[in-house]
Amino acid sequence: MKKYLEVFLSILTAMGGFVEIGELVFTVNAGAKFGYSLLWVVLLGTVGIIVYGEMAGRIAAVNQDPVFYLIRERNGYALGLGTLIAANIVCLLTCAAEIGGLALVLKLLVGGPYRLLVLGALLFLLWAVWFLSFQAIERVFGLLGLLMLVFVFSAIYLHPDWTQVGRSLLPNLPHVESPRDYLVYAYFCVALMSSIMLPYETYFYSSGAIEDGWNPSDVTMNRIIVVIGFSLGAVLAGALLLMGAQLFLPTQIEPQLPGSAVLGPVVTFGKWGLVLALVGMFFAFGGAAIENALSGAYNLAQFFGWPWGKFRPPKDAARFSLSWIVIFLLATLIIITGVDPVQVVEYSIIAAVVILPLTYFPMLLVARDKEYMGPHVNGRFAGALAWFYLLLITLAAISAIPLLIITHGGEG
Amino acid sequence: MKPDYLEMARQVLDRQVVDANNVPCGKVDDLQLEGGAGKQLRIIAILIGHGAAADRLPELAKLILRKVMGKRTVSVPWKEVTVITNRIKLGKTARELKLDESRSAAFKIISALPGAWKK
Repeated sequence: MKKYLEVFLSILTAMGGFVEIGELVFTVNAGAKFGYSLLWVVLLGTVGIIVYGEMAGRIAAVNQDPVFYLIRERNGYALGLGTLIAANIVCLLTCAAEIGGLALVLKLLVGGPYRLLVLGALLFLLWAVWFLSFQAIERVFGLLGLLMLVFVFSAIYLHPDWTQVGRSLLPNLPHVESPRDYLVYAYFCVALMSSIMLPYETYFYSSGAIEDGWNPSDVTMNRIIVVIGFSLGAVLAGALLLMGAQLFLPTQIEPQLPGSAVLGPVVTFGKWGLVLALVGMFFAFGGAAIENALSGAYNLAQFFGWPWGKFRPPKDAARFSLSWIVIFLLATLIIITGVDPVQVVEYSIIAAVVILPLTYFPMLLVARDKEYMGPHVNGRFAGALAWFYLLLITLAAISAIPLLIITHGGEG
Repeated sequence: MKPDYLEMARQVLDRQVVDANNVPCGKVDDLQLEGGAGKQLRIIAILIGHGAAADRLPELAKLILRKVMGKRTVSVPWKEVTVITNRIKLGKTARELKLDESRSAAFKIISALPGAWKK
């Protein structure tokens, strides 16, 4: 019974933690710019994160090896170090954007000067990670992040054209005004997929599996959590896109602030819709900030071989503990300068897609190694899917920066 | 059947090192060998620390890594290695081998904070 409850809670946690500021901004904007057309990318990215998330969890459960052990062992020291630096820059930028998002949500909830709210958000996050256990962090932020389900009800209430929604789940090209808009569409394809397949999700998920003490008997549980939890999370991402299409496309509004998204719940459910959406966003952004700060610390500790984990007293994992504190402080320093969190998130997402192949390739090598994985080695189907996604993200990685420059960050 | 030899670069180098209590205490950053042309090659020690790891990088990267992370290296005699799996297990504790966490500068900061000694 306890196991079933754990699986159920973990599914809800995975779902509640699926959407963060980058995904929110890009899905709502994707809907506002191209209607339902990019829904297929949400589906494509979700299957991708399921494939690699499952693999990361399975490797951790079977061999107790988190992602950065594999990156160092399989990529070697020099390339591994390059991956570590790039991955931690992305974690830092994403953490900064989430803290900025938290402050914007607090501004809408309680009001006050932005910079003071940024500092308030920092103190709250430091308190939560220092004093709460890993399991408590997962549950509190994941479950309260589920309040964002108000966006799903809101999207349904706005009566989307379900036939068109169904058609948009298959790859398609929208009708656009100029050929240049196809480049903007391509930019959104790459950015949206990257925001769903952000590499920190696998760093955090595999390290979390070890924090939770998983072993080979948890391989099936891992599969259930990833497949159901991430799929339900994708429903939330899809709902944000539908809402963007229903609310903003007809009026030609480009929602640039995370707060614009709450217009959907406000229109449909009034004051309570607003409160539920903002509280849900607060915990979703807060959870993502914590996941990014901890991921940066996990990466450093795992690459250099330090003791790590929230399951140890902080003094027994001092370098790990100091690392996540420093990441929070640096992220706050970036955002307190007044830089736009949405701009930060855009750059972090494009930087993330560039390092995706360097993160996923070592995982794939290990997951298909029979000597290493024993009976839990990749099956043919999982193997084929993993190779397909590796090819896809490599193409995305190559095209990401040129598309960012040519389209001026999706502005056209 | 498993081969009766070790591929040092694949099975030892860059692997996680754990002490006798399974506490992580570094990576195999390099290997110290003895011998020469026409002589038998023997592993003397595993080297743990940024100083040893930096030697495997190009000059500029080596310089930066040493500046940022320091160049401390601990040489652990090969005879202290007791088990080789996906971890390299040592026969002594991290403290005995001078690889424990309390030697880091971070320990001084973190251990002074309230709650740092509790799980």
